[in-house]
Amino acid sequence: RCYNKRFPKLYCHPEVDEKLTRRRATQEVRSILRCRRAGINAPVVYFVDYTTHCIFLEDIIHSVSVRDHIASAQASEQNPQHLQTLADKIGEILAQMHDEDVIHGDLTTSNMLLVSGAEDQNMKLVLIDFGLSYISALPEDKGVDLYVLEKAFLSTHPKTETLFERLLKSYTASSKKSSAVIKKLDEVRLRGRKRSMVG
Amino acid sequence: MHLTQDLELFPEYTVTQLLFKDVKNATELRKMAVNGEIKGALINPSMVVDAFQILVAANKAIHLHKSGKMKTRSLYSEIIFSLSPTSNISEAFKRFGISDSDSAVLIVLVHNKDETLNIDNIISKVDGQQITVDRVSDLNDVAKIKKLYKVAPQEEKCGSLLDAVVCRMATKDVA
Repeated sequence: RCYNKRFPKLYCHPEVDEKLTRRRATQEVRSILRCRRAGINAPVVYFVDYTTHCIFLEDIIHSVSVRDHIASAQASEQNPQHLQTLADKIGEILAQMHDEDVIHGDLTTSNMLLVSGAEDQNMKLVLIDFGLSYISALPEDKGVDLYVLEKAFLSTHPKTETLFERLLKSYTASSKKSSAVIKKLDEVRLRGRKRSMVG
Repeated sequence: MHLTQDLELFPEYTVTQLLFKDVKNATELRKMAVNGEIKGALINPSMVVDAFQILVAANKAIHLHKSGKMKTRSLYSEIIFSLSPTSNISEAFKRFGISDSDSAVLIVLVHNKDETLNIDNIISKVDGQQITVDRVSDLNDVAKIKKLYKVAPQEEKCGSLLDAVVCRMATKDVA
C-alpha cells in the first residue's frame, strides 16, 4: 500500500477551553484504539498533534453512510431482509463496543459507514466520529448512548420502529452486559417522555 | 532504488529511505551515525512492516522537533524512538536501532526540499546490497513485530498489521 493512496482526515476539537480540548482529543484517541483492539472497525489514527489537539485519521473511502444506505433502500423499496441483516450487524457492533466500555457519544446512522464491496454476510461496518466518546462501565451511559441513536434513527428514517427493535434485539443477544443497559434505556425513554408531557 | 517522499504536513521536508541486505559493516555504520559521518537514522528492518511506518515516525519526529518537544537529543534518534510503542527510550534504540551483528539496515534521511542529497556518498559507505524499500517484507519478522506492538488477533479484523502498528505509534502518548 502506497502512502499516496491514503488521504488523512483532519479532526480538530473546536472547544475554546484548552483543558477540555486536550481531554476530548485524548478520549477520542483512546476510544478508537480500544475499539480497534477489540476488532471493532474504526479509522486508523495516523498522527496526533498534542499542541493543537488535532487528530489525523484514516479517511474511509469507497463507503456509504448507513443513513444514505437505509434511505436509498427505503426509496427503492428494496429487499427488506437486507436491512434486517444490517440492523443485526449494527446491534452486534454496538454490543461489542459497549462491552469494551466505550461510549460513542454521538451515535447516528451518519456516523456508521458501510464499506462497499461487502455484501450482507461480509458487510463491513465502520464507526466514525468519536469526538464525543469516552470510557465508562456505567449501564446508564450505555443506555443513553442507545437512546441517542434511537432518537436519531427514528427521526431520520421514517417508519423504522420494527427495524430499530431488531437492532436492540441483536444488541441484547450479543452483549454480555445488556440487561442492565436495556433497563437504563427504558428508564431514559420514560424520563424523556415525561419531560415532553410537562413542557 | 531508494524511496523519496514528501510529508504532507511539513511540505518543506523530504524523507528518503534506503534499504540494504547482506550488510557486513554494521559496526562501522553505527560509528558513522554516532560521529555524524552519516546524517541519518539507522533502523533495524526486522521491525519494519512497510515504508509508510517510517514515514509516520518521521512525521511525528519532525513535528516534535519543530515544536521543541522531542524526547531524545536529535531528529534521527527521535525517528527511532517514534517507531516504538512504548516510552522507554533505551528499549526503543535497542529494538529499532541496529546492532553490530545486524546484516540488514534501513537508512532514513530527512532533508529540506531545496537540499540536494548526495545519496551515492551514503550508499558507498554501506558494505551490502541495496534493494528497493518495498522488499522490507523479505527482511522483517512479523511474529516479533506483532509481539512487540502487542497486536491481538482480533485487531487484524479491522485492518492490516501496518494499520495496527501505525495506530500504536500515533497514540502511545495517551494510550
